[in-house]
Amino acid sequence: MKGLKTLLWLEHRRSWVWAVSLLGSLAFWAWGIKQVTVFDVGERFGIRTGLLGMACAIGALLLCLMIGRIRAETRHGQYQVLLLTPPSGYTHIAARYLYAAGVAFAYFITIGFLFWWISALAGIQFDAGTLVELVLAVPFYAVCITMLPLLAWTLLLMVFISAYRISGPGWVPGTVMILGTPFALSWLVDGIARVSYSLPSWRLLERLPMAVASRLVEMDPETSAEIVRVSRWGVPIEPLLIMLALTAIFLVLAGRIWQEVEA
Amino acid sequence: MLARLEGVTKRYRTTEGVRDLSLEFPAGEIVGVLGLNGSGKSTLLKLVAGLLFPTAGSITVFGAAPRPSRGRTVFLGETDTLWPWMTPRDASRFMEGLYPDFDPIRFNELLDALEVPRRKTKAMSKGERGRLRLAMALARSAKLYLLDEPLAGIDLISREKILMQLVREWHTDETILLSTHEVAEAEGLFERAIYLRDGRLALDARAEDLREQGKSVVQTFKEVLA
Repeated sequence: MKGLKTLLWLEHRRSWVWAVSLLGSLAFWAWGIKQVTVFDVGERFGIRTGLLGMACAIGALLLCLMIGRIRAETRHGQYQVLLLTPPSGYTHIAARYLYAAGVAFAYFITIGFLFWWISALAGIQFDAGTLVELVLAVPFYAVCITMLPLLAWTLLLMVFISAYRISGPGWVPGTVMILGTPFALSWLVDGIARVSYSLPSWRLLERLPMAVASRLVEMDPETSAEIVRVSRWGVPIEPLLIMLALTAIFLVLAGRIWQEVEA
Repeated sequence: MLARLEGVTKRYRTTEGVRDLSLEFPAGEIVGVLGLNGSGKSTLLKLVAGLLFPTAGSITVFGAAPRPSRGRTVFLGETDTLWPWMTPRDASRFMEGLYPDFDPIRFNELLDALEVPRRKTKAMSKGERGRLRLAMALARSAKLYLLDEPLAGIDLISREKILMQLVREWHTDETILLSTHEVAEAEGLFERAIYLRDGRLALDARAEDLREQGKSVVQTFKEVLA
């Protein structure tokens, strides 16, 4: 436990500039959202949610870059120091992952708040229960099915590339993994779509008043359609379980490879 | 026996690091690992540390494979491996959190003895960083120390401080494997010298035996490896 705590501290010291910049960038996005002054309320709402979508995509990319900085450490020798420490590879991977996952949750929960703010600017008021779900439960679900496996995958990819740096050409397994990702992803999405809603769904946003739902659809049909669908049917639990299982598999593999890395 | 290598070969993609190396390291020796560039010194130390895995042969450290024994050995690599933001205080926290045998009080004493400034490593000279890394290594109570070129690229004064500290800190139940190009400076330290040439063992001799033959470690270095 002391080892994990120290490695988390180390991770914070290594990555706090990234984490603070990432969370600070949301102030920039909020400023950008405020600058949107299109007269039509619906159009304004649409542009603002579009900006939030961009913040999600860029944030996801930066988080992957933050967790995947193993190559630089390999070049500078710090990786060697870490490999020789008594905690197992699994502990090292857990520390890196927990820190990045924590930053991801903080980032996407803040985006949930920004969505609530945009809605408030558009005159849409949510009751307290729906608001909590919107800023906590929805980002939690979204992070669990997207960011958690993505971060685990990035970590596995970088550990894999670093592991084969000495014993073989690192770009070969790296290229195979990168090229294989779209195919694996497409297969995964198809599979998840087939099994979704087999189990009872998670009833998120079910107390969203119809008047609010109609108002959202009226203003931005594309973005709001998803919210309305969720409020009616809830979110499927299968993608959550599959993605969490995949995340665990990726992390165990990364930890196992770490145990075998040469430096 | 602290460490034993039996018929160890390490092959890289296109080259061979060491070949068919069989060595034993009992407790209580300061061993010089000597050789020209590319002779396999670093490979040997990294194999014992568990940073590399042998292609053939076997290595045991404290009766087990080297990697699982890493908590009981100290490896000091030749590259500058500290994070630029790290201060000696951070280094102490790092070591204390990860190594149960690290003594922070001893570490502070070593920092004073080696005159390491209390600032970030990015603001330190190479010699100061080398001394800090040595203090981190010596503040542990390990039995096997693997020091790979700790004197490389470090100024004369720092080199002297490091060597003096090594002698002061060494206990008779500990074994130090020290690879260095500064053979003349470290000559007085060695009880045993291992000479490597092209990854093979060229000579394994006790310094005392060499002296009895009227030779120094340096002279033998020149004779064996020239």
